[in-house]
This record gives sequence, structure tokens and C-alpha cells, in this order.
Amino acid sequence: MEIVVIGSHEFTLGFQLAGVTRLHHPSTEKEMESTINDLLKDSTVGIIVVDNSDLAQLSERLRERIAESITPTVLGIGTQEDNTLRESIKSALGVDLWK
Amino acid sequence: MALDIKPTRSELINLKRRIKQTQNGYKLLKMKRDGLFHEFRMLLADMIKAREDLLSTYREAIKSISLASSIEGALPVKSTAIAIATRPEVEVSKRNIMGVVVPSVTGEHLSSTIQERGIGLIGGSAYIDEAADAYSDLIQNIVKAAEMEATLKKLLAEIESTKRRVNALEFKVIPEMKEAQTFIQLRLEEMEREETFRLKRFKNK
Repeated sequence: MEIVVIGSHEFTLGFQLAGVTRLHHPSTEKEMESTINDLLKDSTVGIIVVDNSDLAQLSERLRERIAESITPTVLGIGTQEDNTLRESIKSALGVDLWK
Repeated sequence: MALDIKPTRSELINLKRRIKQTQNGYKLLKMKRDGLFHEFRMLLADMIKAREDLLSTYREAIKSISLASSIEGALPVKSTAIAIATRPEVEVSKRNIMGVVVPSVTGEHLSSTIQERGIGLIGGSAYIDEAADAYSDLIQNIVKAAEMEATLKKLLAEIESTKRRVNALEFKVIPEMKEAQTFIQLRLEEMEREETFRLKRFKNK
């Protein structure tokens, strides 16, 4: 299975340097959503890496799908904090254990 | 609750047996929920640590690629990135935690040496190599964090469904069965009283 990176050219360049070849550079929010939707259905993808700031702009529905998806796992990285898992824990258990 | 049950002794015996079975199931589910929760809490601490590591390696990686781009220029960095020969891949297998099948992610070619990258020693640059190393470390941390995140999500879903089942048994199924049991018991007692009264009246005549 492959690692896929979605984001701007600056964001993906380093991953390309580490050997990742499947890079996506969606320019609009709509394009970003359709790219993620397509990748979530792709069985050859193991991990999707997305910039946290891009992840925060996605629709609530897609973010829920991302939070539930196990293969592929969508991982948000960036200087901004990714709270999707924290929110899932809060809604499932009723308490914020992420401390 | 509409009590659509026959007030007979056999029904009462059946109901008592079913209540016992349901209570056993309830206890087992409760233990499963607690066990899953314990497992979840242990993994969560590791996940928080993995997230922190991921963030620090990401910061390091950004720093190193910015340095490489500013010293060597954007074009050499891009051309080196295109020439890289090793491809990191992940393999997702399955493992079992208390009956919950969770993914186990292992990576291949996550880090590589300068020779393996296929860009040569002459054409390369120390800054670009450092950036490549930093991103290789980042990918290793990403694989680790992705596995833990997927595991936590699976455990969370299982905890949620077990919690629902436990609550349904505790607050709906068992109380309803007990209510039915009380209804049958009262009805049988009443029938017994009616029978005694009838016999007494019959005797008096």
C-alpha cells in the first residue's frame, strides 16, 4: 500500500524528497474534497497525509468520514493542532481524555 | 410496557432462565467494556506521545527543507526529489485486541541511505540529504502514528457499541424482563387466590 500526500507544492516537496510519489495538489476546496473522497475509496492507499490547515477547511460530513476511516488512515500534520481524534474521543466517551 | 405474555408457570420458569442468561451476558459485556477502556487508555498515552514526536519531527523537517531550499535553491531540491529511487510503502495486516480486529501497519523502505536514493554523491548536497533524512524520519513517525490512530478509532467504535449494549441491557431489557416476571408472579398468585375462594364457596354450598 502506498502513502499519499495532499497539499501545496511546498508541503509535498519534502515528502517527495523522502521518496513519496503519489502527491496531489488540489487548488480549490472542492477539488480537495473530491481528491480525498476518491482516495478514501482506493484500496491501494494505506495512509493519506494532509496539511492540518487544509483538513480544517473540509466539510463537517467529510471530516466525519475521515475520522471513521481506518484503511486508509488520514493523518493531519502541521503546525496547527489536529483535533479530529480528540473530538471523536469526546463524543464517544463523553469526557476529554486527551490531556 | 404492554405485557403480551401468558401468565403461566412454564412462562415464569422460562423468563427466570432468560433473566439469568441476560444478567450473565450483561456482566460479560460490562467486563469487555472495562477491558477495552483500559486498553484504550494505555494506547492513548502512547498516541499522545506519538503525536508530540510527529509534531517535533515535522518542525525539524520543515526547518531542514527550508535551509536546503535557501542554500541550494528551490530547483536543485526539486530535481533531487524527482530523482529519488526508493519508494516508501506500507503494509497493513490485522491483529486482535480483546476480540477487536485492529490494523497493524508496517513500513518498507521508510528510510534510505544516500546510495539507495540513487542520486549519486557528486550531484547531491549535504543540506538536501539532511532534508531527505528528516523527511524519512517524519514518514517513520507518520506510519507509527497512523497505526495507533487507526487502532484507537477501532477501539473507540467498539467501546461505543459495547457501552450502548450494556446500557440497553441495564436500563431496558433486564428491567422489562423483571417487570414481566413480577406480572406473571402476581397473576399466578391472584389465580391461586381465586381458586381457593372458588373451592371455599363450593364447599359452603
